[in-house]
Amino acid sequence: MTDTFQAYTGRPAAVGGRALDPVNAPMIRHWCEAMGDANAAYTGPGAVAPPAMLQSWTMGGLGNGTGPGSGATGRSAAYDELLGTLDAAGFTSVVATDCEQEYLRSLRPGQRVLYDSEIESVSAEKTTALGVGRFVTTRTDLRAYDEAAGEKPEEAVPVATHRFRILKFRPAAREVNEAAAGERALRPRPVVNRDNAGFWAGVAEGELRFQRCTDCGTARFPWLPGCNACGSDAWTAEPAGGAGTVYSYVVVHHPVPAAFRGSSPYAVALVELDEGVRMVSNVLGLPAAEVRIGLPVRLDFERCDEELTLPVFRPAGPDDLPPLRIPVTRTLIVAGAIASRDYQDVHHDVELAHAKGAPDIFMNILTSNGLVGRYVTDWAGPRARLTGISVRLGVPAHPGDELTFTGRVTGRDGPRLTVAVTGRTRRGAHATATVRLTLDDLTAEEQS
Amino acid sequence: MSLHRADTLGGRAAVAGIGATEFSKDSGRSELKLAVEAVHAALDDAGLRPQDVDGLVTFTMDTNPEITVAQAAGIGELSFFSRIHYGGGAACATVQQAALAVATGIAEVVVCYRAFNERSQHRFGTGLMSRQASAEGVAMGWTMPYGLLTPASWVALHAQRYLHSYGLTPDAFAPVAVADRFHAATNPAAYFYRRPITLADHAASRWIVEPLRLLDCCQETDGGQALVVTTPERARDLRHTPVVIAAAAQGAGRNQEAMTSFYRDGLTGLPEMGVVARQLWRTSGLTPADIDTAVLYDHFTPFVLMQLEEFGFCGPGEGADFAAGGRLQLGWDGAGGLPVNTHGGQLGEAYLHGMNGIAEAVRQLRGTAVNQVPGAQRVLVTAGTGVPTSGLVLGRE
Repeated sequence: MTDTFQAYTGRPAAVGGRALDPVNAPMIRHWCEAMGDANAAYTGPGAVAPPAMLQSWTMGGLGNGTGPGSGATGRSAAYDELLGTLDAAGFTSVVATDCEQEYLRSLRPGQRVLYDSEIESVSAEKTTALGVGRFVTTRTDLRAYDEAAGEKPEEAVPVATHRFRILKFRPAAREVNEAAAGERALRPRPVVNRDNAGFWAGVAEGELRFQRCTDCGTARFPWLPGCNACGSDAWTAEPAGGAGTVYSYVVVHHPVPAAFRGSSPYAVALVELDEGVRMVSNVLGLPAAEVRIGLPVRLDFERCDEELTLPVFRPAGPDDLPPLRIPVTRTLIVAGAIASRDYQDVHHDVELAHAKGAPDIFMNILTSNGLVGRYVTDWAGPRARLTGISVRLGVPAHPGDELTFTGRVTGRDGPRLTVAVTGRTRRGAHATATVRLTLDDLTAEEQS
Repeated sequence: MSLHRADTLGGRAAVAGIGATEFSKDSGRSELKLAVEAVHAALDDAGLRPQDVDGLVTFTMDTNPEITVAQAAGIGELSFFSRIHYGGGAACATVQQAALAVATGIAEVVVCYRAFNERSQHRFGTGLMSRQASAEGVAMGWTMPYGLLTPASWVALHAQRYLHSYGLTPDAFAPVAVADRFHAATNPAAYFYRRPITLADHAASRWIVEPLRLLDCCQETDGGQALVVTTPERARDLRHTPVVIAAAAQGAGRNQEAMTSFYRDGLTGLPEMGVVARQLWRTSGLTPADIDTAVLYDHFTPFVLMQLEEFGFCGPGEGADFAAGGRLQLGWDGAGGLPVNTHGGQLGEAYLHGMNGIAEAVRQLRGTAVNQVPGAQRVLVTAGTGVPTSGLVLGRE
């Protein structure tokens, strides 16, 4: 039987779309306030719009095309029909999963954005952690002309491309999720009791804690109720700075338990932290065959499954970005959603979020995208220009979470850099992103 | 105070009997049955009867309680029973326990035993998947979630650092495997009877946990082994030449863990075996040069090199050179060298948690080993490595 949804592939999702507002300083300011982005490039004379704000210009706003701005979004009948058919199939919930943006030119106040969008694909039914559903991918081409300077729409030039993937799904019952988890091969659990509960409490809070003897000052790991150096039972827990070195390692070939088969053979390392204690962990981010004694590593946290997050290590280097921690407040979620003109109820209305299977409101992908952009430009500085961001969302970010962004330069080509960014909550990776930027002086573009 | 002073146990007990089942991959019978068979075989070898036994010692890991073995073996009242912890590290300590009991008159005839279906039932090599939240469980719990689950992986983490520290490659371990299999090849009781290997075979064998290859790992086994310990006086009246316990020692190092002592010192040695070595040399009054052959615990090859160093047969980092070129094999006629694991060891004969190695030492001193070291007078035996452990110096009267 042919999948009737395949017929939507290649059909337009939006035709002749026109941004409701021209690029303007107030919306930029509201967006920067919500994201906590103080980049000087976005204010004052010669300001540009934050590239990661791209999608905000094309959002339909409250009512999504049914209000005063009706028709301006250009959404096609085909796209409305597709969403309606998915709703009718029971896939009534929606969540954005991927956002890939390429920025060709900076947007500036006074420009009007025009866009056309195509349905790139509708996936077969997939079973996901959220439930059964279909992924819908659209591709949007954005153009802009300088309306304030009297340019005509025909003069619009390409400014960006935007691929966006959503999951339309039927929320899975909680029990079903748990049953599915029980069938998966899980890693052996940590063994936790009163003597080491503080360590695992630290992990839950994103810290790797070792003990230090109050009497003789000796740092110790693993956790024990007393000091081997002096016998004292007085101690304090200290968070490790996160820097360490591989002291020894093995590569496990046989037997490989089911939980590790996806990455077999796998390396297990003995890491010596800069504070002088050692712990067994995994070194991720490079092939097992490349782990070496003496390799500098940096602490990270890996979410292995719904119940298990482990402190792990990744190769350290001068290309590591300093981590950035952002408390996920209700205000951040709501302000980010509204500043990006995303009025989906799950981002601001707790009761409606519950009704759609979520435990609370959660951050919208436009905010996640904006925070990723902010993280990289905070590091690269105002002269850097973002040329692309690809974000894949993992676990949702809810009020009370803390997002910790880490990043590393994975590619350099002259002034062009590629940065891998991960934003984690205590439940795992919320956003996994690749950011491209150029360190070119902005004046080159201004002069052209 | 035996960490600092010679003890007085030396010469006050003797091994009078040894007995084992066959070594196989599937015994086809219970672990209790294997234990009883081994105990009977050892008593027969000594020329004693079950009713002569008043003490039993085994490992905490053994599933056969002393009382149940006594029940099923026709043994009556017991005045001494004891079990030693820490896996294979218990092997020589069972004999030490028996000697302590015999020397003090607590018991007169003590049988030490170990029996398991370690191949056909619970293979250690399949790895841990969970542990209780006890202190021991918590200690293992630091490594389990990361996939460090098997004895091979725990040993390999030490071995990698050892190789790195001394600028060696995994080929450094090959002479140990080759020597074991060389001896097993002429031992009809051995798993690998008539199946010697070469250095090239070792280098070509598959990785288990780098830097350990298949041929660095022992042969998991079903079987049972027992030893009869009594006073030298009584032993003289029995069937075989008495084998005297010249020294017996246990050892645990500072910051010791059971197999996961990764958090101390440089990981290039076995500090707990150093504790054993110092006591054995002090109590026996011997030096490495006095040892005719050694049975060094070999569940994995790297720790054999470290034991050679801890006992002073060579200096730190010199184990690989000491072992190379056939120097651990019977018949080496160059300078240096020491015949090691003449039964084939746990790589070649069988993995009986070290107890079969004690039996081999007894055969060497009786002059009845299949790979006999001519005129052997003094034999060193060690127990499990990487764990709190034990050792013996056995000799002729």
